[in-house]
Amino acid sequence: MISFCTKLAVSAIVLRRAILVGAAFALLPSFLTLSLVLAEDSALSKDSQVCLACHGQSSMKKDMADGETLSLHIKGKAFAASVHNAIGCSVCHADIDLAKHPAPSKKKQTLREYSIARVEVCSQCHEDKAKLYEGSIHASLVRAGNPMAPLCSDCHSPHAVLSKAAASGPIDEVPCRNCHGAVFKAYAQSVHGLARAKESNGGAPICADCHRAHDVTAASSGNQIKEACLSCHSNALQLHKRWLPNAAHHFESVSCPACHAPLASRRVDLRLFDSNTKERVREKLGVPRFENRTKLADSKGQGLDTLALQSLLKEFNRDNDEGDTILRGRLEVDGGPEAHMLTEKGKAIKDCKACHSEGAAPFQKVSISIVGPDGRQLRHGAQQNVLQAPTSVDSVRGFYAIGGTRIKLLDILLMLALASGVAVPIGHLSLKWLFRKYLLKSGKHPLPQDKSKVGSVTSDS
Amino acid sequence: MHKIFVHPLPVRIWHWINAFGFITMIASGIQIRYIGLIDVISFKTAVDMHNFVGFVLIANFFVWFLFYLFSDKIRVYLPELRPMKHFIASFRQMKYYGYGIFKGQTNPHQVSVYHKFNALQSMTYQIVMLLLVPIQCVTGVLLWDVERFQSAITLTGGLRVVDTVHVLIFIFFAGFIFIHPYLASLGHTWSAHFKAMITGYEEVED
Repeated sequence: MISFCTKLAVSAIVLRRAILVGAAFALLPSFLTLSLVLAEDSALSKDSQVCLACHGQSSMKKDMADGETLSLHIKGKAFAASVHNAIGCSVCHADIDLAKHPAPSKKKQTLREYSIARVEVCSQCHEDKAKLYEGSIHASLVRAGNPMAPLCSDCHSPHAVLSKAAASGPIDEVPCRNCHGAVFKAYAQSVHGLARAKESNGGAPICADCHRAHDVTAASSGNQIKEACLSCHSNALQLHKRWLPNAAHHFESVSCPACHAPLASRRVDLRLFDSNTKERVREKLGVPRFENRTKLADSKGQGLDTLALQSLLKEFNRDNDEGDTILRGRLEVDGGPEAHMLTEKGKAIKDCKACHSEGAAPFQKVSISIVGPDGRQLRHGAQQNVLQAPTSVDSVRGFYAIGGTRIKLLDILLMLALASGVAVPIGHLSLKWLFRKYLLKSGKHPLPQDKSKVGSVTSDS
Repeated sequence: MHKIFVHPLPVRIWHWINAFGFITMIASGIQIRYIGLIDVISFKTAVDMHNFVGFVLIANFFVWFLFYLFSDKIRVYLPELRPMKHFIASFRQMKYYGYGIFKGQTNPHQVSVYHKFNALQSMTYQIVMLLLVPIQCVTGVLLWDVERFQSAITLTGGLRVVDTVHVLIFIFFAGFIFIHPYLASLGHTWSAHFKAMITGYEEVED
């Protein structure tokens, strides 16, 4: 009996040991991860250390509804170094009930749906940034259902976010590159990109410095790009005034890259402008006036001609009881990689002929634009001759470039004036000569004046 | 024939500065407008020249304006207020240039100190000096610094309107610059009026 009891006790001890060993083996990865986490950075809070005991494993992942996989792995060291370490895991993941975690979700989300939902979480703390983002072209694209439009987590890795790190690291790490690869490549070769890549980059701008990080808007929709240029090149106007006639007007009606990105193709954008409010005309949400009217006026799709332009302006003026809607022209570059290939100033376009001669390239492409309800530009093509037709003097009265957009009718009038200036004296002189010959023959011509008769002088001065 | 003093010194200085100034303005204006087609001087040089001479001519306009304003010679510019008289004198002058001159008839207009312009000249110079030149000066200044005068440009109808007016008057002067010296050569000798604009004295028949 004693022997049986002893055996039983021994078995129990063995079993307990076995269980303990088994449990130890089962929990080994977690222990190892925890140890590793602690070894990596002891700055993690206890709560975070508990979470990372599991989420520190690289195998942690979740299958999503669309077949994609959401990685649940958090790199402890990166998180410890991130600004979010201070708040720990639970602030952002307040929806997690530890008692039931990991609980199987009732409804599976797609990876995109999950990311969109997390934007709300970010906005709880980053309200100001969220507000800016809401007005951005990126948010507009998200609302329009564009699956590529970036969300907070596409630019900021939430578990490794550093202060202002999203777009200020080495240029290769800029998140914009993920979607705008071709533009980034052009930028990297530009005067700014090359300067930025150097160690002593002198604060050369990268994407967000010109386009802004959160309230990214279409480059041509406002003045923010020009303001970005001038924020660094603050004496640009003074420098241009040294050699460029009407420098201030050039600054107003020509975008910087139109000269400083010589490989970019240029065009004229005629913007609907309210002379009363001194602001661009903005389309109201849900009332697509511009799209409807331009489509109606340009039924053949060949671009608005001079008459269509006049009637379009008339319609916008009908809406504008208090002011006058006019067209203000601006020389711009077509968006795309070339627009970002800004060169050093020695290689910028400085030849006046590039714009001020007949048939100059920038005036071959014309568009009419309005600011859309989401801040994006709404454009419609116009025929090239709207810049040169005499019938456009009124409708395009806010834009003129010497030489480049001159009115042909005035050229004809000048030729007539010059021809008349030469022909009238020659014709009159010839008639005089012919008559004199005839009159001398017939003896009717009076003799030339006798100069010796000139004698007396009258003066009242 | 006897001589009368018709052109005081300020008028003669004004006239010759104006003459060379207008030629420079027209030439540089053509160069600015037709760069690529005509490349005598660079666009930039032409613009600088146009701006500089433009301001010289504006100052010169005030020499003319102030001289006549404070001189009894202003009478030469006073318009004929009797339309019929003006019309008959204009018609007679046109008839002379278009027909009488060929037949060797004498000029119906007799130059005098306070009546140096014939009816056609009187009307032309009133329009030129009191309308076209001032408009050209104003539009030129507006175009010289578009941003500085943006509100005035908007008020006058916009940049294209201002430029079109400037170019239309330029076209008039481009033709006028040929006709004017030719008409000046129709004195009793071809050089009589040119000499008069240098010496100040016109030769008139007794």
